[in-house]
Amino acid sequence: MIKYTAEQFDVAVIGAGHAGIEASLACARMGVRTALFTLTLDLVGNMPCNPSIGGTGKGHLVYEIDALGGEMGRAADEVMLQSRMLNSSKGPAVRSLRMQTDRTAYREYMKKVLFATKGLSLVQAEVTEVNVEDGRVVGITTAFGAFYPVKCVIIATGTSLGGRIIVGEESYDSGPDNTLPAKRLAPCLERLGIKLVRFKTGTPPRIDAESIDFSLLERQDGDSEPYMFSDRTHKDNVLPCYITYTNSETHRIIRENLHRSPLFAGEIKGTGPRYCPSIEDKIVRFPDKERHQIFLEPMGEDTKEIYLQGLSSSLPEEVQKQVVRSIKGLENAVFMRTAYAIEYECCDPTQMDATLEFIDLHGLFGAGQFNGSSGYEEAAAQGLLAGINAALSVLGKEKLVLPRSESYIGTLVDDLVTKGTNEPYRIMTSRSEYRLLLRQDNARTRLMPIGYLLGLVSEERYSRFREEESALAEFIRTLTKTSVKGGEALDALLVDRGYEATGCGMPASELLKRPGITVDDVLALTGLEVEKGIALRAEIEIKYEGYIKRQLADVERFAKLEKKMIPPDFDYSKVKGLRLEAIQKLSKLRPESIGRASRISGVSPSDIQVLLIRLARGGKE
Amino acid sequence: MIEKYIAFYKIIAYLQKKVYNQKNCFSEELMSTVAAIGTPHGKGGVSMIRITGEDAFNVAGRVFRTANGMPFESHTPEHTCYGIFYDRNGEFDDGISVLYKAPRSFTGEDTAELFCHGGLLVTARLLRAVFAAGALPARAGEFTKRAFVNGKLSLTRAEAIGGIIDAVSNRHLDISSKQAMGSLSAKIDEIIQSLVSVSASVYAFIDYPDEDMTDMTPDEMRMRLLAIKASVDSLTATHSYGRAVSEGLRVSIVGKPNTGKSSLLNMLCREQRAIVTDTAGTTRDVITERVEFYGMLLLLSDTAGIRRGESEIERLGIEKSYEYMKKSDIILAVFDGSSELDDEDNEIISAICKNGLADRTVCIMNKSDLGAVSASPLERCVVMSAKEGVGVEALAGEITAIIGASDVNSSDEIITNARQYAELCKASEAIGDAIRALDGYTQDIAGMDIERALGYLGEADGRSVSEDIVNEIFSHFCVGK
Repeated sequence: MIKYTAEQFDVAVIGAGHAGIEASLACARMGVRTALFTLTLDLVGNMPCNPSIGGTGKGHLVYEIDALGGEMGRAADEVMLQSRMLNSSKGPAVRSLRMQTDRTAYREYMKKVLFATKGLSLVQAEVTEVNVEDGRVVGITTAFGAFYPVKCVIIATGTSLGGRIIVGEESYDSGPDNTLPAKRLAPCLERLGIKLVRFKTGTPPRIDAESIDFSLLERQDGDSEPYMFSDRTHKDNVLPCYITYTNSETHRIIRENLHRSPLFAGEIKGTGPRYCPSIEDKIVRFPDKERHQIFLEPMGEDTKEIYLQGLSSSLPEEVQKQVVRSIKGLENAVFMRTAYAIEYECCDPTQMDATLEFIDLHGLFGAGQFNGSSGYEEAAAQGLLAGINAALSVLGKEKLVLPRSESYIGTLVDDLVTKGTNEPYRIMTSRSEYRLLLRQDNARTRLMPIGYLLGLVSEERYSRFREEESALAEFIRTLTKTSVKGGEALDALLVDRGYEATGCGMPASELLKRPGITVDDVLALTGLEVEKGIALRAEIEIKYEGYIKRQLADVERFAKLEKKMIPPDFDYSKVKGLRLEAIQKLSKLRPESIGRASRISGVSPSDIQVLLIRLARGGKE
Repeated sequence: MIEKYIAFYKIIAYLQKKVYNQKNCFSEELMSTVAAIGTPHGKGGVSMIRITGEDAFNVAGRVFRTANGMPFESHTPEHTCYGIFYDRNGEFDDGISVLYKAPRSFTGEDTAELFCHGGLLVTARLLRAVFAAGALPARAGEFTKRAFVNGKLSLTRAEAIGGIIDAVSNRHLDISSKQAMGSLSAKIDEIIQSLVSVSASVYAFIDYPDEDMTDMTPDEMRMRLLAIKASVDSLTATHSYGRAVSEGLRVSIVGKPNTGKSSLLNMLCREQRAIVTDTAGTTRDVITERVEFYGMLLLLSDTAGIRRGESEIERLGIEKSYEYMKKSDIILAVFDGSSELDDEDNEIISAICKNGLADRTVCIMNKSDLGAVSASPLERCVVMSAKEGVGVEALAGEITAIIGASDVNSSDEIITNARQYAELCKASEAIGDAIRALDGYTQDIAGMDIERALGYLGEADGRSVSEDIVNEIFSHFCVGK
């Protein structure tokens, strides 16, 4: 192959999935010339798995992406089929929004946005090489020999990198949804010294809606007043979802055919996600469970395809059909797409720092499944951060680190680059120790100022946000100043909620603090009027004030250690008293602060003591 | 292993102070080479000075010359080597040197131990020589802290070693030795594991709301949390006994003259300390004795007999008795059970009741050998004969009941350490908050309280400790441990 020098860009993004889209949009919007490389221009923003955005923890990520000026939340809102707030009864910290979306409409929306973005070029080509000189990225090369000189590269290859689809005894090299796999890039990355691992994931069958007897299934509708991810769109629910269950017959079929499962026959070597197991995995691991729930999701308004969440499988197609047809309502199911498992290459993310740049390869960033994560939302969040940092790096500005105390994005990235992962990493609310502070409802408060400063949030949107914030502050003030008159109305409410009648009045905020009393009660008693969103946020801030304050104190303690910086060239091997394992881990990960060092597995509290002491003495012997 | 070091920890403080008048700032000096006398203060056959740190071997080589003329560096680690100690003014003693090469030493650093003759002056001279040779005086707790920092000891074990050194009673020593081997760590770990499992169920349900999972209902969660809280509380409940074992209980013996208070004291002390006569009013001063009684350390105060004072001295003594009573953990009110209680006895009883001390008072109906006539005026009572040693076990039972340690088994983990006690109390409180959050708030809030509890348990066990805590703990150790 004769190589030639092609167009010059500032940043090249490899892969136009959810990570690549956010990365390239952020770069272009921040004013750096960006090329987005994809294997096929017709499938940008594809959802090869669930046709849904959000979910527990993931909803938080989407709100945060939106607050920082990313696209995912708005795209989901635009093509929403159904919106449900999960965990609404389990507490404000864990409320998570999930939206069913129209999969093809989502792709079209994203493509339109990409095409409309100035300074962003979409290129259909297979990137086969990242070119590096003296530890610094200088360009990329495609399969046709085109060398594109660039300053930064963001790898967002998803499951296409070394992808291999497996269905029963059949397997072939492929990306998701039978797209082309990226075969040549992985060996190049290994030559650059990047440690790669092989992960596995899977997807369930899609069946023809006409072949389903919906009358036998439980119907699940969206919320009567659907929430939106972004502050820019409002829509109503379009389509319902349905629920059915596996049964003993289903389980028998699976057990009898386990030997034909590549997972159990040892054909699949990649590590799969524990939290998103295949149906055969569930049957083997939980033999006592009588049934497993199957959630039927519409793939879009213009398609008959129905996605069977909970039936992810790599059994042979013939067995898959028997399994599906053993389930109530699906007895006559006609298959449209067969379930498959897919193996792919990804990197060990501990080779990166918290800006998602490789420690030893300047200008090289990674995002999404390539970094060992799983999920559209996790991918988009990393893509946005990697894009912002690549742009900042090109612009010669200080890069952005999002602390784990301020966002789920920061938590996700900190977990990946500090602890690494031995299975596809999924965000969960339990991953954050500051979850009462990191809520969906205050995502804009936490992150929009950053998005605005980066130039990703428009002046108009930002001023609207400022107005909302002052309205909230004003309303909280009002509640503390307003008193609820004592009397029959108040006493009736108190008695109704299990309190004793007082006969006298109290400040509205004090009343609201009581468990069981809602902001609506307070509004009704005081006659105050305010926008619903603001009322609900005020309720959380007031009701959970004690807990919020405690978490803020935790954050302060956290920040103290986060601010104890370790010089980048610090020589751990010279520190007497550090255990060998700690020296190895610390030298490899090179944490920028004591706080991060303390979260590395294999680094003990006593190692941290030794480091603190050494740093207090200015690193001297 | 541990016993081997116990002896090293008693250090001569005044020598340290001469050289070191700064405030405690040892964390900055941690990597320096330090030394202290490892044997107890006083005259003895042998004294030992321990030097630890990177420069320990060089420092030792500057004060010790091998007897066989071999260079000091050729000295094999962990072998004794005979030689001569010298300083600027010349040779002054002969003795033994032992080297421990890092990390095979107590502190995990290079360590030298020099054994000289046990005289005060010669030990002091050797220590001065060691300081002159480049070592700094070891700070309070420094040897143990270094061992902790170098990963040689867990925090609970380090604290248990403190307990061994400070042990004031045999029981305290037993408990500390057991904990130094990691028994308390194991118990706390068990509690942590069960709390983690509740927390995991909560979050599994929160993170997978759509899965058809068997939800842990708030009721089940409450039950399990209550059970875990109960096991934390049963640990903290041992602290009253732990304190009795490690710090001691203040015990006042009161009673009108000639009821046998001094015989009781003597019985407890098992030797004649107080003067015992048949003349009323012989014991006038408050006498304090430390005795070990059924594993507990009792700080006994035999007060002046309480009676309508006739002389000035007696009145003073009686006032002192009441003062002592109020400060006591336990009051032993002694009565002559062989005769009817009289006005003076009743006056003591009403004084006890008036001051709200009844619940910590044991009535001792003494002189049972002369026959039992009167019934106890208060609920807690032991019929005994101090003279014949009858009723001793019953007395021990009442004392343990008062400090709330009746349920404490000898095989239980006993919390003797105040810091661990405080952390465990906080953990129990946080679990209590979690239980309450289930009623008033939501599961995610309960989850936060559970995590807080886990944090406290981690600190009690030393698996998650902040810088402040470590400094705090180690500054409480005696010098040089």
